[in-house]
Amino acid sequence: MLTFIIRRLLWTVLVMFVITVIVYIIFFKTPGVDPARAIAGRNPSAQVIAEIREQFGLNKPLPVQYALMMKSLFVTRDLVSYSNQGLKVVPEIAAATPATLSLVFGAAVIWVVASIAVGVAAALLRGTVFDPLLMVAALIGVSAPVFWVGQVANMITQGSLHDTFLFSWVPPLGYTPFTQDPALWFKGLVIPWITLSILYIGLYGRVLRANIIETQNEDFIRTARAKGIPERQVLVRHTLRTSMITFVSLFGLDFGALVAGGALLTEVVFGIHGVGFLAYQGFINLDLPTIMATVVYGAFFIVLANALVDIAYAWLDPRIRPT
Amino acid sequence: MATLLEQVEVGAGQQSGVVGRNPWALAGRRLWRNRVAMAALGVFLLIVVLCLAAPLYANNVAHVNPFPPNLNGHTVVNGTVVPVMQQGGGTLHLGETPIGPTWDPGHYFLGADSVGRDVAALLLYGGRSSLLIGIGSAVLCCLGATIVALLAGFFGGTVDALLSRLMDIIWAFPVYLLAISISTELLTHSSGFQVGPVHVSASSLWLPTVIIAFIFVPYVYRPVRGQVLSVVNKEFVEASVAQGASNLRLVFSEILPNVVSTVIVLLPLIIATTILTESALSFLSIGVQPPNVSWGTIIQDGTDLVYTRPWVSLAPGLMILLTVLSLNVFGDGVRDALDPRAKLRVEG
Amino acid sequence: MKLPATAAHSVSLQPRSRRRPRFRHHPGWSAGAATLGALTLILAGCSSSGSPSTSSTGTPQAGHKGGTFTILANSAFGVADPAQNYTLEQWQLLIDTHDGLVGFAKVGGVPGSKIVPDLATSVPTPTNGGKTYVFHIRKGIKFSNGQTLKPSDFVRTFERQFTVPGPTSFYSGLVGASKCSTKGCDLSQGVVADDSAYTLTLNLTAPDPELMDQLSLPFAFAVPGNTSPKLTGNNVPPGTGPYMWKSYNPNTQAVLVRNPYFHVWNAEAQPEAYPNEIIEKYGLLVSDEVRAVQNGQANEVFDGDQIPSDQLSQLNSPKYANQVHVNTLTADWYFALNTRRPPFNNLQARQAINYAANRAAYVKIAGGSSLAVPTCQILPPNYPSYAPYCPYTAGPGHNTWTGPDLAKAKQLVQQSGTAGMKVVVNGTTDQVGKALVEQMIADLDAIGYKASAQLLATSIQYPFVQNSANSGKWNVGWSAWYQDYPAQSDFLNVLLGCGTIHPNSDASPNIAAFCDQSIQAKIDQAESMAATDPTGAAKLWTEIDQADTNAAPWVDMYNPKQIDFLSSNVHGYLWNPQWYILIDRLWLS
Repeated sequence: MLTFIIRRLLWTVLVMFVITVIVYIIFFKTPGVDPARAIAGRNPSAQVIAEIREQFGLNKPLPVQYALMMKSLFVTRDLVSYSNQGLKVVPEIAAATPATLSLVFGAAVIWVVASIAVGVAAALLRGTVFDPLLMVAALIGVSAPVFWVGQVANMITQGSLHDTFLFSWVPPLGYTPFTQDPALWFKGLVIPWITLSILYIGLYGRVLRANIIETQNEDFIRTARAKGIPERQVLVRHTLRTSMITFVSLFGLDFGALVAGGALLTEVVFGIHGVGFLAYQGFINLDLPTIMATVVYGAFFIVLANALVDIAYAWLDPRIRPT
Repeated sequence: MATLLEQVEVGAGQQSGVVGRNPWALAGRRLWRNRVAMAALGVFLLIVVLCLAAPLYANNVAHVNPFPPNLNGHTVVNGTVVPVMQQGGGTLHLGETPIGPTWDPGHYFLGADSVGRDVAALLLYGGRSSLLIGIGSAVLCCLGATIVALLAGFFGGTVDALLSRLMDIIWAFPVYLLAISISTELLTHSSGFQVGPVHVSASSLWLPTVIIAFIFVPYVYRPVRGQVLSVVNKEFVEASVAQGASNLRLVFSEILPNVVSTVIVLLPLIIATTILTESALSFLSIGVQPPNVSWGTIIQDGTDLVYTRPWVSLAPGLMILLTVLSLNVFGDGVRDALDPRAKLRVEG
Repeated sequence: MKLPATAAHSVSLQPRSRRRPRFRHHPGWSAGAATLGALTLILAGCSSSGSPSTSSTGTPQAGHKGGTFTILANSAFGVADPAQNYTLEQWQLLIDTHDGLVGFAKVGGVPGSKIVPDLATSVPTPTNGGKTYVFHIRKGIKFSNGQTLKPSDFVRTFERQFTVPGPTSFYSGLVGASKCSTKGCDLSQGVVADDSAYTLTLNLTAPDPELMDQLSLPFAFAVPGNTSPKLTGNNVPPGTGPYMWKSYNPNTQAVLVRNPYFHVWNAEAQPEAYPNEIIEKYGLLVSDEVRAVQNGQANEVFDGDQIPSDQLSQLNSPKYANQVHVNTLTADWYFALNTRRPPFNNLQARQAINYAANRAAYVKIAGGSSLAVPTCQILPPNYPSYAPYCPYTAGPGHNTWTGPDLAKAKQLVQQSGTAGMKVVVNGTTDQVGKALVEQMIADLDAIGYKASAQLLATSIQYPFVQNSANSGKWNVGWSAWYQDYPAQSDFLNVLLGCGTIHPNSDASPNIAAFCDQSIQAKIDQAESMAATDPTGAAKLWTEIDQADTNAAPWVDMYNPKQIDFLSSNVHGYLWNPQWYILIDRLWLS
């Protein structure tokens, strides 16, 4: 087991290395990008561009440049953005992380609680008309594009209904750090939390419902009932625990992906300056340092989450152990 | 359990013994009986038909060519001729606002977008692109993932480890960067490029299709590989091996049929996901390129008009919602039909 | 001047059009242009709607001082070092924190184009055949860190133009500049400071009538002599203006506070400033900026050109009548035609698309006729040597565009023999850019071409169309140009002169690669006449404008207007043709 964990973690490092190399290559293959020109400011002469190339080592072979960038990213952590020479990329990401974490954690709390409620309710109400109704309602959340839901949310809360008592508490779009104003932090995040969690409530509610139903048919549940254990205990202590395995592993993957910057669209639509937002700006400006840093940050969390989930699975079920 | 009941039914109607039914037929019957899933399929097919009928609508009902801008155009509302773009009022006359929904199928039913095009007609044409890309990429994705999963599950060991790590890399890869970079690369080759016999032009729909298929391969790979692994360990495969079956025969005759149901269950859900992803990429301008239109590009066009002309972004969003919802409900039904004991815990 | 690459830091999903222009490539020292005389000559009255911009040079009123003026901007302006930054966004702040030898008068309207002495006591006339200028520097002026301003500070200021990467062409005529580079610069011959006599002498290699304009740009504003020759990043060196930079973080905000050492020495150049503090906040969606200003939570929307059409219609309401200011910009939005290859290496094909271009539609894309004025020619209105001229219109007139002439256009296409050819239209991915490209495609298709789109991210599109290596990939390319300062050469020579075609370079502002030797001869003549016969030169520039328009290297679409949206408690709005809104002259109630 231990060797398995170590091996997975080593693979993780390798995967991240490969990703950074691929990003680097893709970037330089994209036509129209010339870091020297971006660094040189606007309207530089050819001579200045040549000087910059020399100064920043941009005329060295690609592998050397790559190594230099990795060094400034990881070791000295003073990697500077091409689009803005005054900006260090690593502290920028560090500063953006609380926004992403606030968004993702809050949404996760909402979706876990709500999906457990929905899943359990649907399983209990199975056979009645509420079961399919709940499932379709859950599916609606899954079926809408998140940026559109955000836009509609803005339409409602910031538009004509903004002045009514329903939504007048909604502050203008944007993120306020918790340390600056906790109340505003909270108010500004409520609508984004709900928007982001709608997608997942549906997914997880259905997963849980399916697992509960399946577990309830298992023999050990029948035994428990036969033993006279009250239904509620059967549900909570026996059924739920087993059903949560898939739930937890999926949660690990999705949560990891969100922290990694997967909430990009939500952040952009609501003006929250998190890591996903930074990544988006990096892509638009084709600013390699920002792109590289956000990709590394993101890849790290995704691969870590994958590894953790796989480890958990392997621990739970030796048959599924991959290697 | 339904299965038992069915079999008893069948047996009761026969003179002797129980007649076994092809499990596919049984599944089909179960699916057919699932009214909700059938309704969802109906909705999906209706949307497909509507979108296919886009030229019919544009030419015969609305009498527009919805692709070029129509900023100086006019249309008829309640009998009066009005300009499609209306200048702002007050003393400053700032801005040009397109007309809103007229609810008249012959004249700008859903209103105009920011360059005066007929939203309703665009919606239908956009649906063609979105559906084409969605279905195409889902099929490509499932094909690719199945092949890789078969290889990984069948050969196991290092092959499995390598392939799984490769999938990790793809999964962790930033899709937006890939899309932007490839788009830019292609766009700046104005005559497109050749991939074997296929000529891909810069604004071809193949580009988003392939990108989206590519990034979701790991997503399908995981459950399919799990299924391959569990099948590989079953006794009947061992039996085949003992009988001297070749690898190819094993894969195609023993493993694949048992894995296909997994893929079939996944397909509607993957289509749903790819449609959503395409809309996200188009919304960010790195998906479908002009002159093509998709639901995502229409939502993007409507972003600036969200408060005055909400229908420009509401309509395509609702279409996506309906399409994906119907696919999800139908997908649920397919899963229930193929595996009523809900053994598969994969979610789309 | 072109838009900054960092402009695409837009928070709105697709930056509508981040046209904050400042770009000029000085083609050569000998190419001088408008003199001071020509400057004040031909500028017509300002054409603003909404609140008329007042041209008051009124005495500062002490009672107006106070308050914090908050500007909301979609994105920051990149790195803050004044030796590199080439954005209007920072320049509007730098003119309040720093001063140059001379400067544009900080007043509204036409008088705002006049160059007045600032840190120098007077604007000198050159000697030595126009190659030597002696400035007398004012005494008793201090930087915001308490250091006294000395002439030798200017040496470092000019040297930094070369040691900090950025546009160098403006000052490349100084003696010794040709040897300067980012590795080091010795301008001791070109910039001679005498700290005891308090004079500064500039020695040029050749006469340049545009020198005063160039000295009025923030690149040449004084910084202390001990400022690092390297890029100072986001720490702005101290200046002599009424404000000083307290902090700048491009992700959050910039804060300017009063410079305790400032006193007024020439109210025309640097008057008393009213707000106590200026804050510029970054990263908001433009629609939110507008809302915040409507609610009085902030004072100015910086990104007036990106206000979504939703809100533009809201701003028409009479209650905002005193808060919305619209002013014409001396700027062109145009499609460059690639004259290097077919079909637009053919004059008739170029004229054809000029006849067919539906400028009314382009104006609508820009937000309607109150926000853009259709044009066919190169020079914008209210510019030196501008005389209305538009041959590409339906109807008999020659001066204003009334409508497209499709019949003529199709005829010309047939005559040119280019009918049916494929045409690639290059533009940006933001909403306005995309719409403009789509309209151009429709115009081209209507006269028999087969057009397709090539949309690139804003940050790549501009270098892409300039680089001749990409010339084989596009035929029609969108671009925009705003004045650096009011000189005819800024448009006619920089954008259409033979000398500004730089092959295989990302910085080749003559995107159309247009070079007509007879027109170039006239340009050279006008530049050499500038000092001796300004009136004659101005007339010649008008002829050049018409000749260029007839040669149709572009499809010029429109001249945009600028919207300034201010909160209701802001007063004293002034529109300066060079710097646009003068922030420190606003007062809050």
